[in-house]
Amino acid sequence: MSSLSTSEPRPLSEQLGRAWNAFWFVPTNARGLAVIRIATAALGLLLWASYANDLQQWFGPEGVVSPSVIDSWRSSYGISLFDSATTAASLWALYAVGFVAFAALLVGIGTPFAAIAAAVLWVSLLHRGPMLVQPADDLLVILLWCLVIGRSGDAISLDARLRAIRKLPEAGPSVRNRLALSLLGVHASGIAVAAVLSQLKGDVWWDGTAAWWLVSGRDQAAGTLMAALAESDYLTNFVTHAITLFEIVFAAGVWVAGLRGFVVTMGLFGWPLIGLLSGDLLWGCGMATLGLAWAPPAWFAGRPALFAGR
Amino acid sequence: MSVEQPGKTDSGVPSASLPSEGFRGFVSIALTLYLLGFTLTVACNSSSGSSTLLRTVKSKLFSPWMVPLWLDIGFDERLTYGQIDDADYLIMVEPWESSGEDMSIRLPAKGASGVAAARWRQLASWLEPGMVPEDVAGLLPSAMAENLFDDVGAEDVRVRTMRVVLTDREEFSAEDAAEPQYAPVAVARVRRVAGSVQLLPVEQERDVAPVVTPSAEQGATP
Repeated sequence: MSSLSTSEPRPLSEQLGRAWNAFWFVPTNARGLAVIRIATAALGLLLWASYANDLQQWFGPEGVVSPSVIDSWRSSYGISLFDSATTAASLWALYAVGFVAFAALLVGIGTPFAAIAAAVLWVSLLHRGPMLVQPADDLLVILLWCLVIGRSGDAISLDARLRAIRKLPEAGPSVRNRLALSLLGVHASGIAVAAVLSQLKGDVWWDGTAAWWLVSGRDQAAGTLMAALAESDYLTNFVTHAITLFEIVFAAGVWVAGLRGFVVTMGLFGWPLIGLLSGDLLWGCGMATLGLAWAPPAWFAGRPALFAGR
Repeated sequence: MSVEQPGKTDSGVPSASLPSEGFRGFVSIALTLYLLGFTLTVACNSSSGSSTLLRTVKSKLFSPWMVPLWLDIGFDERLTYGQIDDADYLIMVEPWESSGEDMSIRLPAKGASGVAAARWRQLASWLEPGMVPEDVAGLLPSAMAENLFDDVGAEDVRVRTMRVVLTDREEFSAEDAAEPQYAPVAVARVRRVAGSVQLLPVEQERDVAPVVTPSAEQGATP
């Protein structure tokens, strides 16, 4: 936020106010948010599909997570649309609606409704079985609620294509897009801070062996990587410290305009790699998607021919 | 997230394109509240515990609206620790009378990968004593057993929760990676009697010195 003012310095409160307004309220176009929408919907479809095989065994009428189990387990504030699906057929029906919502979000048709439906159904599914929730599921919640706030369907979507066909004016920059992107960005940085705080509490992150324990506790351990880490103290220490350093650089670097492009690029590779190492690749992909909120607008300046508006 | 500057004023902020002051004021209050709640979830949903003050403020003022939206998260992820509790879990359910593994059902199945398998592992981790309050600790083992009575072919079953044994780097061998070892962390006996499902406490097997019974040739008397 460069200032062109040549007058005397403004009071701190005024500077903060301007920075706050610029960060949250300057209208922006939907292209960056649309890319995040597509990545989120793809991630959502994968996570939603992961319930398919065991849906009835978990939540069916005779399922493990029966209504009586969930009543005792869940917070009193927890609420789920899936509570009303008490038969196998109704459970499948509600589940199918979720698939449709995520698919609609992916291609951007009826995007505002698709975003709300996907968010509500996803949160409902998590509340129906909180003991099954993975870290990637939590990230998807954040991404979806932010898509509800923004107007991600205004670009790279069938909605935008339909507007163009009807010769309606192209959707312009919106404050809602700015709010959504800024919230996503704050979460990306905040979650990286939370991860660093978690790590700094553990001895293994200080003595440099955490990378080994991350890999060796897996049911499906990567033998080659384990062998390499077992072979070398230095490699194990390097990987461990690199993870923490990466998270610190990411959490702080996105706030520095000059570093942003580099840090977001680093995040696109770094987060999935950390996810892979710790056995949760989709969590890493979710973090990389969150990080895209900080990407310079120039990254999304090009127009894909298929979905381009006018 | 660089800020676009169409028609910016002398202060650098394009005032003409900003929403009304009333809207900004309302949204700013909402954002401040949410960001405070977000900070509290990080501070309170930690394995290190939380202070009574912060916990009370969060539970009274923020949880009522953050929990339904699944925003009371904290992001204190298991995968960021690299501690013993991070190791993968599995559930074994088998007839109580059986000792072999032929009759047992393993969840997730051997060699299973992907998110669905990870969800079973997550579920299994909640069966470890101490992970949940005592009053709900027996719910999942009972529900697991009840769900699997037909598949196991018995109405008196053992539910075992196992965890991957972490190997020291110095003791690593390629076989460890190919076939991870598991250690039981919880065992429960669940049976159905006259339609009622009962959870029976099971004394965990412990490492003790073998009992030596002197034989008659060694002069033992009955």
